[in-house]
Amino acid sequence: MSLQTPRILPSHLNAFHPSSSGQRSTHTIRILGTVSALRGDHATITCGKNGDVTLILKPDSHLQMGKLIEVVGKVTDLDDGQGLGVRVLGTTDWGNPADSDYRTYEQVVEATHRFKSIFYDAE
Amino acid sequence: MDGGYNNYNSFGGGGGGFMAGETNSPSGGKTDNRDNKTLRPVTVKQIADATSPYPEAPYQIDGAEVNNVLFVGQVRNISSQSTNITYKIDDGTGEIEVKKWVDSATGDSMDTDEKGPGDGKMEVVLNGYARVFGAIKSFANKRYIGAHSVRPMTNINELHCHLLEATAVHLFFTRGPPGGAGAGGNAAAGGDAVMGGAEDYGGGQNKALLSVSPLAKKIYHLLKTEPQDDAGMELQHIASKLNLPTMDVARAGEELLNAGIIFSTMNEHTWAILEY
Repeated sequence: MSLQTPRILPSHLNAFHPSSSGQRSTHTIRILGTVSALRGDHATITCGKNGDVTLILKPDSHLQMGKLIEVVGKVTDLDDGQGLGVRVLGTTDWGNPADSDYRTYEQVVEATHRFKSIFYDAE
Repeated sequence: MDGGYNNYNSFGGGGGGFMAGETNSPSGGKTDNRDNKTLRPVTVKQIADATSPYPEAPYQIDGAEVNNVLFVGQVRNISSQSTNITYKIDDGTGEIEVKKWVDSATGDSMDTDEKGPGDGKMEVVLNGYARVFGAIKSFANKRYIGAHSVRPMTNINELHCHLLEATAVHLFFTRGPPGGAGAGGNAAAGGDAVMGGAEDYGGGQNKALLSVSPLAKKIYHLLKTEPQDDAGMELQHIASKLNLPTMDVARAGEELLNAGIIFSTMNEHTWAILEY
């Protein structure tokens, strides 16, 4: 079975955390957001009106403030007990957030989970 | 003057006609069925899950035959050989290999992607997104895509649109057309609903039905739903049920007869659905 990376919103992070009750085969997810803060090896993305997500960057991650990025990463606990974050495996720069309506992404997330059979294997 | 005019004629008329014939034959001649020539937006998982009823049979997704597929994903690997370029494409639902044959004649046109520096805009890059259009193939039990085109994708809206489109098409095949109330409403409504109404009909007749007129579909639907004996229904009866002129019903019936969807029973104006 090949690696699947479900597209999610910040509110779904819990469901993909390794400790969550469901025995998920994957904790690797995709999430879309605008880079809103960069602090050393951490960054924050803002996911439309769905809140922020803290990213733990790789040494070779190159993010730019204000860009829309898609992150592939693993859901993980943040070091300082500040809840959940995403350990980055890779990012894709999609440029100016103004070129994309975040609500479209919300619909995509909704569709991919509601009609799961064509996107992801059942848990 | 005269000669020039004649020249023009032979080039314009004769040449053009021949060309048209030539371009038509490769697409029409090769494949058995023109209706197969669909281009369906899919996810990689759908390609992996596609079934093939028997060896060498066309693949099916959601019970519908697929020939060409269209999908988007991130390029995870590019390997260039002398005859083809193999990409590994990951769209978050799975991974699949995509082979694009290198046409030596157009080997250095913009269609190929040599990895050297060049016009970065038209190049498929590692970990970048690409849009692939090709046919599902398999070799030694391994599924791959024989690509007609692999091109870079730079607008995220295209990605989202694709995923939603794939969902919409999946739902069309599994649940029928959007907003289709029930089978009853479909046949009477125009446009899309009629197309989708065919969803409810038997598999083999599906395709044939798509090509007949709306009125013919209406008659088919009446024959399908109206209680009747083995002899089917008579022309006048159908006309009065549908509240339509006999002439129109006769013409549409002819269409269904010719398409092999219905057959005449007791006499030439009594029809029943041909089930097979």
